[in-house]
Amino acid sequence: MSTPLPPEGGTPETPGQTSTGGQQPTSEPRGGETSASAAGSIRERLRNPGPQSSGGDTRGSHLTGDDFVNTDTSAALEDSGRGMGQLSQDSPPEGVEIDQPRGNDLDPAAARASERKVSALFLLSVLAVVAFLGVYWFAPFQFGVENGNTYFTPMLGLTMAVALFGIGAGAVVWAKELMVDEEAVQMRAPFGSPPEERKATALALQQGFRDSGLPRRTLLRNSVLLGGGALAALPVPLLFGLGPYAHKERALERTAWKKGVRLIRQNGTPVKLGDLPIGAVESVFPDVPRGTKAADSTALLIRMRPEALIPVKGREDWSVDGHIVYSSVCTHLGCPVKLYEQQTHNLLGPCHQSTFNAADGAQVKFGPAARPLPQLAISVDPEGYFVAQGDFHEPIGPSYWERHQS
Amino acid sequence: MSATTHDDGPVLTGEPIAPTTLGGKAVAGSAAWMDDRISGSNFVRRSLNKVFPDHWSFMLGEVALYSFVILLLTGTYLTFFYDASTREVIYAGSYLPMKGITMSQAYASSLDISFDVRGGLLMRQIHHWAALLFMASIVVHLFRVFFTGAFRKPREINWVIGVLLMILGIVEGFAGYSLPDDLLSGTGLRIAYSIMLSIPVVGTWVAFLVFGGEYPGDAIIERLYAIHILLVPGIILGLITAHLMLVWYNKHTQFAGPGRTEDNVIGSRLFPAYAAKAGGFFFLVFGVLAALGGFAQINPIWNYGPYDPSQVSAGSQPDWYVGWLDGSSRLMPNYEIRELGHTIPLNILLPAVVMPGILFTLMIVYPWLESRFTGDKGYHNILDRPRDVPVRTAVGVMSITFYVVLLLSGGNDIIAHVFRVSVNHTTYAGRIGLFVLPPLAYVLTKRVCYALQRSDEELLHHGIESGTIRRLPSGEFIEETVPMPVPQRLALRGVESDRPMLQGPTAHGVEGHATGPGHGDLHMVETAPAKVRGFFFEKKASGSTAAPRPESSTPELETSGRPSQPE
Repeated sequence: MSTPLPPEGGTPETPGQTSTGGQQPTSEPRGGETSASAAGSIRERLRNPGPQSSGGDTRGSHLTGDDFVNTDTSAALEDSGRGMGQLSQDSPPEGVEIDQPRGNDLDPAAARASERKVSALFLLSVLAVVAFLGVYWFAPFQFGVENGNTYFTPMLGLTMAVALFGIGAGAVVWAKELMVDEEAVQMRAPFGSPPEERKATALALQQGFRDSGLPRRTLLRNSVLLGGGALAALPVPLLFGLGPYAHKERALERTAWKKGVRLIRQNGTPVKLGDLPIGAVESVFPDVPRGTKAADSTALLIRMRPEALIPVKGREDWSVDGHIVYSSVCTHLGCPVKLYEQQTHNLLGPCHQSTFNAADGAQVKFGPAARPLPQLAISVDPEGYFVAQGDFHEPIGPSYWERHQS
Repeated sequence: MSATTHDDGPVLTGEPIAPTTLGGKAVAGSAAWMDDRISGSNFVRRSLNKVFPDHWSFMLGEVALYSFVILLLTGTYLTFFYDASTREVIYAGSYLPMKGITMSQAYASSLDISFDVRGGLLMRQIHHWAALLFMASIVVHLFRVFFTGAFRKPREINWVIGVLLMILGIVEGFAGYSLPDDLLSGTGLRIAYSIMLSIPVVGTWVAFLVFGGEYPGDAIIERLYAIHILLVPGIILGLITAHLMLVWYNKHTQFAGPGRTEDNVIGSRLFPAYAAKAGGFFFLVFGVLAALGGFAQINPIWNYGPYDPSQVSAGSQPDWYVGWLDGSSRLMPNYEIRELGHTIPLNILLPAVVMPGILFTLMIVYPWLESRFTGDKGYHNILDRPRDVPVRTAVGVMSITFYVVLLLSGGNDIIAHVFRVSVNHTTYAGRIGLFVLPPLAYVLTKRVCYALQRSDEELLHHGIESGTIRRLPSGEFIEETVPMPVPQRLALRGVESDRPMLQGPTAHGVEGHATGPGHGDLHMVETAPAKVRGFFFEKKASGSTAAPRPESSTPELETSGRPSQPE
């Protein structure tokens, strides 16, 4: 490898070497047949006295050795190769019938019946196509409206199915009942190239590599590697252009809730103290522009009897008279947690069945969620409406790498 | 039919009939025109003469291929009406319950396809059903390939391509499921976002770059659309092409039977019988999907409503091929690591990222794993019967059991509702079942395989019971058996006779056992684990199954060469 070679590149040790590969790329003007002719010439160059190597490049050169025998009789099968050797060892060959004549081959009446059957299927398909066109163009198609047609899609599907099925069934019956029932034997080409072939290819690759000068021209080699490596950096800024990732941790930590923001319903009306009876829940959103669309700010206002509520230490003033608000984004995979059981105070996530205890700081009672739902501190403004005391005290929703311990 | 043996297929003797009709002349003329330019005559003739073995299970891959073609056809039609935009519009279509509701343009156009495009609903439903069938046929095809050992040398590459196709199919299906932007698909997207977030170190980067910011952003639908209609289908199309070319090139595997060896293929030629059957089968598959699309309602998005991050419907389920991941997320206990200011949510990471990663990796490397355990490096063109390779079969059934427990757990709320049991109990049952049932399935399957082998042995060596009892002059009663017909016998035993045989007497006594080379004396089942590294049975080196093929077994080498005379 380290020995510099003359550019003519004839390696002394193999006669096949000189004529392989791209030594004379312009000397093959014959179009259309390049691979076959090139391979053929390889074979010529490789031709040793032995007959085996002449069968060399059988598959690459489109000269596949697909030995093909049509076996109408078991005698033909016997000719076809080693399969019979095995058979004759184990059992008398006359026990083998791999090609049984079909009734239709012998009985013209049965064949005509089959033909009629196939034709009937094809004609059925024609009828179904006509029906399809009729349904498509002339039937009223909308459903769920006045003068609508609930049956449009089923009718369309039915006619389409029959049209396709007729063609398909016809073709299959045709093949099974009317075409020649043969058991043809085809030999497989051997897997793997002959050793001479591999050797010649390896030599061609090696010599091409040497001829390119890469092994000895180290400056060239290193600059090519560097250039290729530098290209890999091109898509990197494009990749990072996919999304605004600046301050992504802050975006995950913050929601639209702020001090003094009112709690509104989905329809935009603010929630007043006393609107909810005991045991009721209400989906609440921050009263900010597009607050009902903020996926990270949806919360659930629950009213329970004040004595049922066990306030978490340090959160004694976060709730108002049995009204308590939790983020409704599950801490497992982010599904909305909205199912509330009045008696048990269970909050259930419908996606993966995480269960939280609303009366006890939304501690996890069951399921794959690992953390309680974050609680939103609320109070009541002078007009009697619920307002937030601030944002959630911790990031809402599923966990992530940068999430701080809490 | 007169045919001569030739390495390029039969060169039929005689002259082709000169075309007389206008159509015949046009065909002959254009064929000659093409051949003048690309010299395809030889290739076409060899292709027409290619032999395909016949077995019903070989059609499973065809179903997947045809489903994909149908997906391309119906999907293209849907793109003409679908508008992948998160722009908010007020619905003004003909579906009354939605009138005046604010929704994304994506959801509105999906509703329009369903209500205001003639035949649009049919196309949408065929598309969805074809997607489900595509995944189902891939999975069943994979079972067939696995249990029959069709992935063995030289077909490992095609196994890998097949697994990649299945993974891409899941991605493609999930992306398509998300496009209508209804309530159900939005919930699925939120879960996907949360799974991305859970990846240590790079999770927030991945999630923000994929979604274009914090969830939901306004980019994801457009991006999924590009992925769904261009990127992934393009890759799938390329891989399918490679998959088929390799099948073509390596020739199809076949089951054991009369005359069938490792070196030949017995079946019908591509033209005309096989082509007619396969072409007809395409229309049958399409017909079934059209009937499903017409009659079986699927994904009625108008019932779910537009996506709203604050809402979810109970009993929300993904499409079936994602259900096992949903199930694993439900079963996982709530472990989470919180150390050094960082959080690693194992309750998401393990079931939704690590487990599928490990499983898909194991799947891809399985051919090499098995080859390493068995020491079998030989070529295999004759398929195994599952019972003949008990360990592989047991591993397969064990894996399927694992998968089914996860899949059922993905619907455990539905199960709890239908059977009126506590949903918590179904979760506990799933957690236990996930670790108890697969080993049980392994042991049971192996036992069943042994029993089936034993019954085969009975049939082969004892014969079929005729029901006749004969009394000998000595007064002894003997039963008469009928020897198995040869084709069945060969199908049972295989031509290569490489199956480990059972030791010990059969139920009918020792007379059932043949002795001599290849008849049990060299085989072992009970002693195999002690003798073989790993726990697979060692293949007996008989025939060309285990041993490298000697040069003399490839006679076609001696005759191959380009035909000297033009046709």
